Amino acid sequence: MSKRITVDPVTRIEGHLRIDVEVDGGKVQKAWSSGQMFRGIETILQGRDPRDAWLFTQRFCGVCTTVHAIASVRTVENALGLEVPLNAQYIRNLIVMAHAMHDHIVHFYHLSALDWVDVVSALKADPVKTAALANSLSPWPGNSKEQMKAVQDKVKGFVEAGQLGIFTNGYWGHPAMKLPPEVNLLAVAHYLQALEYQRKVNQIVALLGGKTPNIQNLAVGGVANAINLDSDSALNMNKLFMVKDILDDISTFIEQVYFVDVCAIAAMYPEWLGYGAGVTNYLAVPDLPLDTKGTKFDLPGGTIFDGDLAHVREIKTFDDPYFKENVSESIAHSWYDGDWTKHPYEETTDPKYTTFEDTKKYSWVKSPRFQGKPMQVGPLAQVLVGFALGHEPTKRWAVKTLDTAGAIAKVKLSPAVLHSTLGRHAARMIRTCVISETAKKHWGLLAANIGKGDTTIFNPPTFPKGEQRGFGFHEAPRGTLSHWIVIRDGKIANYQAVVPSTWNAGPRDGQNQPGPYEASLVGNPVADAELPLEVLRTVHSFDPCLACAVHTLDPEGNEIATVKVL
Amino acid sequence: MSGLEKVRVLGLGNVLMGDDALGPWVIEDLLARWEFPQGVSVVDVGTPGLDLTPYLADAEAVFLVDTVKADAPPGTLKVYSRGQLLSRGPQPRVSPHDPGLAEALFSLDFAGCAPKEVTLVGVVPGKVEKGVTLTAAVRAAVPAASEEIAGRLGWLGLRPARRPGTKTEPWWEVRIPETACA
Repeated sequence: MSKRITVDPVTRIEGHLRIDVEVDGGKVQKAWSSGQMFRGIETILQGRDPRDAWLFTQRFCGVCTTVHAIASVRTVENALGLEVPLNAQYIRNLIVMAHAMHDHIVHFYHLSALDWVDVVSALKADPVKTAALANSLSPWPGNSKEQMKAVQDKVKGFVEAGQLGIFTNGYWGHPAMKLPPEVNLLAVAHYLQALEYQRKVNQIVALLGGKTPNIQNLAVGGVANAINLDSDSALNMNKLFMVKDILDDISTFIEQVYFVDVCAIAAMYPEWLGYGAGVTNYLAVPDLPLDTKGTKFDLPGGTIFDGDLAHVREIKTFDDPYFKENVSESIAHSWYDGDWTKHPYEETTDPKYTTFEDTKKYSWVKSPRFQGKPMQVGPLAQVLVGFALGHEPTKRWAVKTLDTAGAIAKVKLSPAVLHSTLGRHAARMIRTCVISETAKKHWGLLAANIGKGDTTIFNPPTFPKGEQRGFGFHEAPRGTLSHWIVIRDGKIANYQAVVPSTWNAGPRDGQNQPGPYEASLVGNPVADAELPLEVLRTVHSFDPCLACAVHTLDPEGNEIATVKVL
Repeated sequence: MSGLEKVRVLGLGNVLMGDDALGPWVIEDLLARWEFPQGVSVVDVGTPGLDLTPYLADAEAVFLVDTVKADAPPGTLKVYSRGQLLSRGPQPRVSPHDPGLAEALFSLDFAGCAPKEVTLVGVVPGKVEKGVTLTAAVRAAVPAASEEIAGRLGWLGLRPARRPGTKTEPWWEVRIPETACA
């Protein structure tokens, strides 16, 4: 008999992601992904000055602040055909890359590692063996037996005091937890070290962006970072070298810790390289521009359909019609008035809430489509597109990952295993390694360009009378983000944001094609319906971000999340 | 994090969602109408989830300003201690961005760099929905929330001084759409 499981955080934040799965024979047969919060924030922008749009879009989401700011200025620049000075491109790229490294490290260690790591089991580990194992995998100096012992004592102290703190709601002893105690202990040690490194990399955003979490240095047409190597108040040598030091430091952590941990977990949960593929159409956009027009990039973008890497199609520029003309959104199963599929320039946002009905409307999220097809976005899409296009750093890190994980598991792993739940974690790590290298390159490009005497940071925009349309995209940590604008007589007439989690979390469309979350859950095992850890593993692997728009604390309330089994 | 002082006032909330802007609004109010001594950072941190950790780490004292759910009329000011904030324990993580204040504090506790003192100055919201203005009741609570924080900073010997004759005008409310046409 089939069982219906609903995973529904009720609300500290007004509405959320809700996942419903129907389980039969220990496997998920059907799944529904539902955004429980109405956003439609874009309408706040109507009538405003396009030069201010980024300040407002930066507030769409508390986690992806810089991401929406960057996409917005690119959108207005695209509408005006405005070029961006090289220094501004490099400074933006460095902010984008620092943000991405921060975000990916936090996602792996602080938001999803506990799906795989059993903290309580770490108490049974032998610190000497843990250190020996760690040292066989990595030269990282933070893996000594003394450090492992100290972390174990700390966990012990928390357990004995009955205060497992952050880990209280973990799935200890769940049958799907399979790491040996030593690997669990090592992972807990790195969880703590990662806290320090994610703080460190965030400093780059503060140094270049003026402030975090909401950066201050952007402008339509460039950046507002005055460059003067001799001035304390401008971007100077001192600040540039502070950025360089952090980049060096963080790349050591990424290559010697994050890389190794993901390879080890992939090797020890090989079955999860087989679950969770779902939609194997992939979309990524090019990013990290190397010229003023946005025609050359350090991260490639493109599309792949049905997992066929041989027929990858590249998205070549910031103005590529292949992207512009092929994006649409459907509201067939979303709580909006109507049943249309429209291009973002033509969209409206008229909410019409009914109830949750499996076969009708069940989500506030719209369903974005590319040439009418659902697409998976995110690091996996970007890595596969890069791999298929022969992007050297992506290929090198992907091969190294498969070889290293394969060596630990003593099997040969092919790139096909990346179409999976753990493949998404591996791809996020591969992308972080590529970005860490590329950030150092862009630091060098910025320093060299300033060294040549170029201190230009801004091309002033001018707005002609009449109507202009523009789109801007950014390959954000969670995948392809695009903003779309219609400007009329210098004011915003329409604005739409098609965000990564919409591509992935969207409901079925007019043709009843499920979205990537929904498709990826089908076939997942569920050992214990009361504790659907496996469902969370697959959903977490996408790094969902739907919940950040509103923040209300609930210090007096009761339980705010439920796992309901019907 | 670099550039942050040991005593911090952090405003939480989304400026595009009506009364949820309370936290950032109070930050704007504090920065416009008060002069802070060395040793205090006053920051609008938006809605960062677990990304709040860098702002809490290694602090001596943190004052948070946010909307709170409580059984009281909109605009009611409520103050909570660290113990009250943590009494419920962390919540199950469903979406990876669920973790909030309690989770960030637990995580820093485990790492050994949690702030020593945490105080939440909360205001009960009226309408939390798309929009860039506060409801009258919540707007009226802003000066009281600022006074509350100023007073508590005073207990630490860090009381800010009033700047006479200044007005608070948050950018998200005052930016009047003007034509950008050349």
